[in-house]
Amino acid sequence: MSITIALVGNPNSGKTTLFNALTGSNQHVGNWPGVTVERKEGQVRHGNTVCRVVDLPGAYSLGAFSEDEMVAREFILTGNPDVVINVIDATNVERNLYLTTQLLEMGAKVVIALNMVDEAKEREISIDEKALARRLGVPVIPTVASRRNGLEQLMNAALAVASAPRNGHVRLSYGESIDDKLAKLTNLLKAGRWDYPSGWLALKVMEGDEYVRKIVADEQSMQRSKEFLRLWDEIAANEDYYQLEIVDSRYRFVGEVTQDAVRRPAVAVETATDKLDRILTHKYWGIPIFAAIMFVVFQLTFAIGQDFLGEWMASAVEYIGEFLESLLLTVNAPQWLVDFTGNGIIAGVGAVVEFVPLIVILYLLMGLLEDSGYMARAAYVMDNTMRAVGLQGKTFISMIVGFGCNVPGVMATRTLESKKDRMIAILINPFMSCGAKIPIYLVFIAAFFPAYGGAALFAMYALGIIVAFIMGKIFSKTLFKGEVSHFIMELPPYRMPTLGTVLRSMWDNVSGFLTRAGTTIFAVVSLLWVLAVLPGGVEPYGPESILGQIGLAIAPIFKPAGFGTWQASVGLFSGIAAKEAVVATLGMVYAGVEEGMELVMSIREVFTPLTAVSFMVMTLLYTPCAATLGTIRKETGSGKWALFSALYSFGVAWALAVVVFQVGSLLGFA
Amino acid sequence: MLKQLLAAINDAGYVSKPALAAELGRPLVLVEEGFAALVRMGYLAEDAGAGCVDLPCGKCPYASMCQKEPVQMWKITDKGRDLLANMQRAG
Ligand SMILES: Nc1nc2c(ncn2[C@@H]2O[C@H](COP(=O)(O)OP(=O)(O)OP(=O)(O)O)[C@@H](O)[C@H]2O)c(=O)[nH]1
Ligand SMILES: [Mg+2]
Repeated sequence: MSITIALVGNPNSGKTTLFNALTGSNQHVGNWPGVTVERKEGQVRHGNTVCRVVDLPGAYSLGAFSEDEMVAREFILTGNPDVVINVIDATNVERNLYLTTQLLEMGAKVVIALNMVDEAKEREISIDEKALARRLGVPVIPTVASRRNGLEQLMNAALAVASAPRNGHVRLSYGESIDDKLAKLTNLLKAGRWDYPSGWLALKVMEGDEYVRKIVADEQSMQRSKEFLRLWDEIAANEDYYQLEIVDSRYRFVGEVTQDAVRRPAVAVETATDKLDRILTHKYWGIPIFAAIMFVVFQLTFAIGQDFLGEWMASAVEYIGEFLESLLLTVNAPQWLVDFTGNGIIAGVGAVVEFVPLIVILYLLMGLLEDSGYMARAAYVMDNTMRAVGLQGKTFISMIVGFGCNVPGVMATRTLESKKDRMIAILINPFMSCGAKIPIYLVFIAAFFPAYGGAALFAMYALGIIVAFIMGKIFSKTLFKGEVSHFIMELPPYRMPTLGTVLRSMWDNVSGFLTRAGTTIFAVVSLLWVLAVLPGGVEPYGPESILGQIGLAIAPIFKPAGFGTWQASVGLFSGIAAKEAVVATLGMVYAGVEEGMELVMSIREVFTPLTAVSFMVMTLLYTPCAATLGTIRKETGSGKWALFSALYSFGVAWALAVVVFQVGSLLGFA
Repeated sequence: MLKQLLAAINDAGYVSKPALAAELGRPLVLVEEGFAALVRMGYLAEDAGAGCVDLPCGKCPYASMCQKEPVQMWKITDKGRDLLANMQRAG
C-alpha cells in the first residue's frame, strides 16, 4: 500500500527538519510546476506502507496572498494527499492554529505535529495537547523533530487518519446569517464543475478571495442561474462585513481551542509595564510627572556633573593651558601663536570644554530615560496638549530629538505625512533647547544662580517647549491650516538599561564631544580669533578689532533687552555658526582682556541677574545655527523657509528678551 | 475578537499590547495576530513612527538623545472608522 503525506505549517515551524527526519536521504528537490518555489519529496516506509512525503512551503494562512500560500493550498486541495501533517510551533500555538483552522475548513484529513515542545518547555509554556486534540477533533502528537522524538507516534496517527474515511473534525460556525448564506451558496455551487470542494469555494467567495471569485465567475453554468446571481450580488455588496466576520470567527475559534489549554508564565515586564503606565500616562498626572522627572534629571545633572566633576575639569583645562603656554615659550614660539593658544583656544574652546562633565551627565540621564522606554510615554502624555494646539503627537518625538540636536530633530519630522504638520514641526523644532546651548546657560548659572542650577536649566527647557507650543498654535491657525491627523502611539514594554550600554553611551558622548570641540568649535574659534586681533595695530579683543566693529554695529538692537554691549552681540552673532561659539567668544573677548580673569567672574561684572536671564532667553530662542538652517532648507526644499525660520525666531527671541528685561526692571529686579 | 480589539484600540488612546490583552482576556500572541489581521484587512494602518534611526548623527555627542527605536504608530483607517460607527449604531 502507498499513501501521500503533505507537510504544512507556518514558516520556521520545523517542516523541513521533520521531513528530513522522516525521509532520511531519500529525497529529491525540484520546483512546483509553473512557479519557482522549492518542491521537496521523499519516501519513508512505515510498517507495510510506503509513504510519499511532500514538504510544502511555509505559510501563515491559506489565502491567495503569496505564491507560497497558493502552492500549499493547491496541493492540499488537488494533490489528493491522504493525510496532512500540520506542523505547529509549540512556542506559538495561537498563531499557528490560524492555519490549522483553514485546513479544517478545507476538509483535509489532519494530524497535528506539535513540534518544538522542548523549546516550549524551556520557556515554561504548558500545553494540554489532549484538550487541543479534543477541541480540534484531530490527533495532536508532541514532537521534537530536531531530535527525532515522537516520530513513531506521529506516523502511527497519520496512517490511522489516512485509512479512516475522514476526520471527525469540528465545523466552524461564522454566525447564523453567514452559515445560512454559506449553506445556500454551497448548494448552488454544486451545479458547477470544479476541481475544488464546493463548501470551500463558497467560503472563499464570501471571504473575498479574488482567485476563487474569478474561477466561480468564469463558470458558464453559474451565470445562467438567476438564484446564484442574486446571491452573488448580495455577497458582493457586503464583502467587507463577511470577510471580517469570517476571519474573526477563526480567531474566536483559536481562542476557544487554546483557552486554558495553552498557558504561559506571566511576564513580569508586561505586568509591571501595565501598572507603571497607569500612573505615568495618567490623564492629569502624566504631564506633572513628566515635568518632575525632568526636574530631577536636571538636579542630578548639577549634583553629579558640577559638584563632583566640575572643579576637576576646570583645573584640567587650566593646567593644560599653563602647560601649553610654558611649552610655547620655551621653544621660542612667535608671540601670535602664544596668544592664539592662550587667549584664543584655551580661553575659547576651553570655556566650552569645562562643561563637558555636566553635559555628559545630562545626556547620560536623558539617554537612560530613552532606553527605558519612558520617552515614548512622555510623547504620549504630551499628545493631548499637542492636539489642543493643532499639532499631532508625533511632533513631540521630533521635539525630543531636538533636545539633542535640532538637525536630526528637523529631519525626524519626515515621518509626519501631512505637509501642514511637517512644516509646523520644522519651524518650532529650533525652540527645543539643543545640547550646544547648555554651556551658555551654565556660564550664566555659575555666575548668578549657582544654588539654583537644576531649576534654572529646567526653566529654560520648559520655556522652549511652551514657546514652541504657542508658535505651533499660531502657525496652525494662520500659515498652515488643516486637519490634525490622529495617530495612536504604541508604548513598548519598559526595559532595564544595562550598565554596559550606559558606560558605552557615556564614553561615546565624551569622545564625541571632545571631537566636536577639536573640530567644529576649534575652527569657529580660530576664525573669531583672527577677527578679534585684526586689523593690526588696534588693541586686540577690543572694540576697534573687526569683531568689535561687528559687535558695535549690532549692539543697539539689544539695548532694550539690557545687554547692548558689543561683546554680548558678537557672542550671539558667532552662535549662528555653532551655538557653543557663544561661550567660546565670550571666553575670548572677556578673558582675553585681563590675563587670568575667569570668564564667570567677568560675566558677573558686566551682566546683572536680570540681564543674564534675558540673555539666556535670547540664546534659547534666537536664530538656529547654520547646520540647522541648512537642514531646514533641505527638508522644506526652499531657502525662503530657512530665511523665515532665521528671522521669525530672532524676532520671537528678541521680543521675549525685551519683555523679560523691561518687565523685570519695572518690578524692581536688577 | 477583532471588532472588540479595534474598539479597544480606539478607546485606549494609546496602544499597549499587554494592556489590550488583559482587557480582552486573550493571550498577548493572539492580540498581536489580531493587529496583523486588522492591518491585512485594511481597518488599521501601521505607521513607521518617528525616530532618528537612519539619521546621520554619526559620532555626534548629542545623538544619545535620539529616539533610537522608532515609536510605533497606528492609525484607524476610514474603513476602520466606518466599522466603529456601524458598531456603535448597532449598539
Ligand atoms: N528546539 C527545536 N528546534 C527545532 C525543532 N524542529 C526544528 N527546529 C529548528 O527550527 C528551525 C527551523 O526549522 P525548519 O525545518 O527549517 O523549518 P521550516 O518549517 O522548514 O521553515 P520554512 O521552510 O522556512 O517554512 C531550524 O533551526 C531547526 O533546527 C524542534 O523540535 N525543537
Ligand atoms: Mg522548510
